[in-house]
Amino acid sequence: MEVKVLSAKFDIEGANKLEIAKEHGAYATLDKLFAMEPAAVTEVVKASGLRGRGGAGFPTGLKWTFLPKGLDKPVYLAVNSDESEPATFKDRYILVRDPHMLIEGIIICCYAINSHDAYIYIRGEYTSQVKVLQAAIDEAYAAGYLGEKVAGHDFRIDVTVHRGAGAYICGEETALLESIEGKKGQPRSKPPFPAIEGLYGCPTIINNVQSIASLPFILANGADAYKAFGTEKSPGTHLFGISGLVQKPGMYELPLGLPVLEVIDKVAGGVREGRKLKGIIPGGSSTPVLTPEEAQDATLDYESLAAHKTMFGSGGIVVLDDTVDMVKLAENLVHFYYHESCGQCTPCREGLGWMLKILEQLIAGKGKVADIDLLLELCDNIEMKTVCVLSAACTMSLRSYLIKFRSEFEAYAAKNASAEPVM
Amino acid sequence: MADTIKLSVNGVEVEVQAGKNLVDAVAAVGIEIPHICYHPALGADGNCRMCLVEIEDGRPPLVPACKTRAVEGMKVRLDSEKIKKIQRDIMEFELINHPIDCPICDQAGECILQDYYMKYDGAQSRMRVPQVVKGKKIDFGAGVVHDQERCVLCARCVRFTRLITKTGELGIVNRTDQARVNIFPGRPLSNRYSLNVVDLCPVGAMTSSDFRFKQRAWFLTKSKGICHGCSKGCNIFIDHNREKYQDDIIYRYRPRHNEQVNGYFICDAGRMTYKQENEKRLRTPLASGQQADLESAINALKRRLDQAANPFFVVSPNCSLEQMHAIQQLAAQKKATVSGFSEGYIQEGDGDDWLIQDDKAANRAAFAVLGIDETKEVFNSALKGADLVVNFGNDLSLSGVNNTSLGTAEMAFIGSYANSCADAAAYLVPVASYSEDSGSIINVDGVLQRYETAVKKNVPFPNMLSVIRQLGGGLDDVQAARTSLGNTVEAFKKLDLQNIPAQGLALTASEVGNVTA
Repeated sequence: MEVKVLSAKFDIEGANKLEIAKEHGAYATLDKLFAMEPAAVTEVVKASGLRGRGGAGFPTGLKWTFLPKGLDKPVYLAVNSDESEPATFKDRYILVRDPHMLIEGIIICCYAINSHDAYIYIRGEYTSQVKVLQAAIDEAYAAGYLGEKVAGHDFRIDVTVHRGAGAYICGEETALLESIEGKKGQPRSKPPFPAIEGLYGCPTIINNVQSIASLPFILANGADAYKAFGTEKSPGTHLFGISGLVQKPGMYELPLGLPVLEVIDKVAGGVREGRKLKGIIPGGSSTPVLTPEEAQDATLDYESLAAHKTMFGSGGIVVLDDTVDMVKLAENLVHFYYHESCGQCTPCREGLGWMLKILEQLIAGKGKVADIDLLLELCDNIEMKTVCVLSAACTMSLRSYLIKFRSEFEAYAAKNASAEPVM
Repeated sequence: MADTIKLSVNGVEVEVQAGKNLVDAVAAVGIEIPHICYHPALGADGNCRMCLVEIEDGRPPLVPACKTRAVEGMKVRLDSEKIKKIQRDIMEFELINHPIDCPICDQAGECILQDYYMKYDGAQSRMRVPQVVKGKKIDFGAGVVHDQERCVLCARCVRFTRLITKTGELGIVNRTDQARVNIFPGRPLSNRYSLNVVDLCPVGAMTSSDFRFKQRAWFLTKSKGICHGCSKGCNIFIDHNREKYQDDIIYRYRPRHNEQVNGYFICDAGRMTYKQENEKRLRTPLASGQQADLESAINALKRRLDQAANPFFVVSPNCSLEQMHAIQQLAAQKKATVSGFSEGYIQEGDGDDWLIQDDKAANRAAFAVLGIDETKEVFNSALKGADLVVNFGNDLSLSGVNNTSLGTAEMAFIGSYANSCADAAAYLVPVASYSEDSGSIINVDGVLQRYETAVKKNVPFPNMLSVIRQLGGGLDDVQAARTSLGNTVEAFKKLDLQNIPAQGLALTASEVGNVTA
């Protein structure tokens, strides 16, 4: 099942070094790139059907076309490497094992959108990864792939690595821009969208690391070669991070569209001996959980998972077996989003803390059944009332736990001797 | 008149001004969209989420009204169950960690949380978990005391120090429900407009150390007034109250919106001038150096003035137009020179490029309009020959004129505030100050403004006009003075002084004479 498109150089010792990466084809697309018109590059990316790999799955090429034409402002590229979603660990492989693929992708994107300044916003906790990435960028500068004349062509690209300070919210694209600008990482109200008014008030394209890193393959092999992988509406390959209670957790590159359960069994080795599959979180902590029954006909692509009322997300699959306490998982989840709420909007700022305390009370044996309904109502009251979707990421998941595993929550409520009996 | 557009609110078509956001646009036609963080002077931030409205056929269908421009044909819904529920929910979130200590909160009675709870919420608390504990009574400097638990994190105060004063003392630290407004360690509020954050704060999080715990808001009478702290003439609310068995006392000044003069704000120094209206007042009339009742003092001064061979009138640049006019008439009658010498009121370099002016007098511009000389030369030469100096409230000590330099002339003082001129006076008539009187003044920018009596003392001081009349002047009251001003002063001949608009009247350059604004 596994394929080697993005991960082609991952197992090559020293592929993070320019010399070895070049031996295996790095920067080979640049001559082809600069022979093309920028618009033609965008067309290829559009034709490839590449969708944003940060989680939202918005078509990458289409996003580029939102840039205003004929503006005398600079265009910026911001590469989102703030990979902070719990259970998501795909971009770090690119950063460490094949950073030149990312840099080559940046060159392709910058050329297509006519940007000369790219920022890589890297998660603050990626302390060792940032060193590898910066070393690769330094090498690329020294070799002339970045700087005043990219690969000898009359096109300047400067790449700046900006380290985050440990905030999940800075993975939200406008909070990311605020953070690069040196402000507190808080999402901006949209509109205006970043493609119109982004970094320093200038048009800005924000793409995920994996999206950008997919560009060299697409340009080298053509849109059809990329579309040969995956499904019609979800073409290509994806780096899936499979974690949780499976035999072989890890990062696997797979084409989109594979059956969820088959991937868990055949790729990740299935659940441990004597355990039973209880649930699957398909794409990072913010995606609603699937029960094994629901997952029967689910495939790992945007459409199928949306049809199952969850999301493809970031490809971070968490496998839960029957030893998992869903109430404690819910508490863990809400604690994360509570802790990461930027504190800007009232519902998220006040609501997530309230929900967390209700869950803590429930676990401490002081809860009531009514608390479960209150939590469900609070999910509704918070969701989509805020500037960004951080709170929705929490409430959509929590709601799925509450509804699909309600009996576990009720069992905790029943531990409260003073409360009314569970009906 | 600006362009108007038509849009529908709750299915009813309204015509509003173009180019405004939804909150302001529909507020102008009397429709309230509740909002906490939005303030017209600070722009839209969109953090409170209270102003979410539905736009029919809109994309997205739910938008913050403060960040949404009103456009032609827009269909806005405020009355749907969905919106009402959102408003209730937002109020619930605002209140779960709020201490609800209204009984001891200064803001009670003028608090947005109280008002909106009554209007948009009214639900019982469902909070059964411990509240977030934050800092109380934190001294932010400049007389501002902060309560982090009452704070709704609307960031109005933060935006004020960033966007308006550009001093940036305040920030929101931490995230999630631990977020709080704070100063940087050892860097308190230190701008001259700091206390505006108290007014801007929609809740009781920002309190004034000067005002806190002094009065309940609902006992205060909120009268309109004009600050006399400098020549800007900022519009204010004079908040005063007569407690049982007490006199009518002013407890605070607050800014009153006037786009033409001061916008939404006033300076801290001007705000604190209310104290001078309560304290440092002249109270005891004097006749020939002896304590006397008011009538005797005025009569004694009248006799002295009638006998004076060479009376000299000194007028304060804080006197109203009407008072100055009456003084001029009386002077003409008594053949007295009038001088407005008061250079000491000007504190060179103290002003800024916003509200604070160098000139700490409220009505100096009127000198030029009325032709009152304010040079030192005229003052000195008139003083030399004078046997009686009648000083209408001018604190000459500010201008370097001490009592010995006044020579042998006898001093009379008709004014409101104690100063060394009043100390030296043989004749003293305490009169009503501007907060107790009505009058018109012209500010540094040539804006003519009117103020009305705000405070009514238990035993009112006589107003200066009536004292001047008793001394032999011919004007009965402010109305008569205004009529006379309109008839005799060139600049006012075309104006209706009885009906100055609420936002003031910007005089033309020719009307304000040789004053340079």
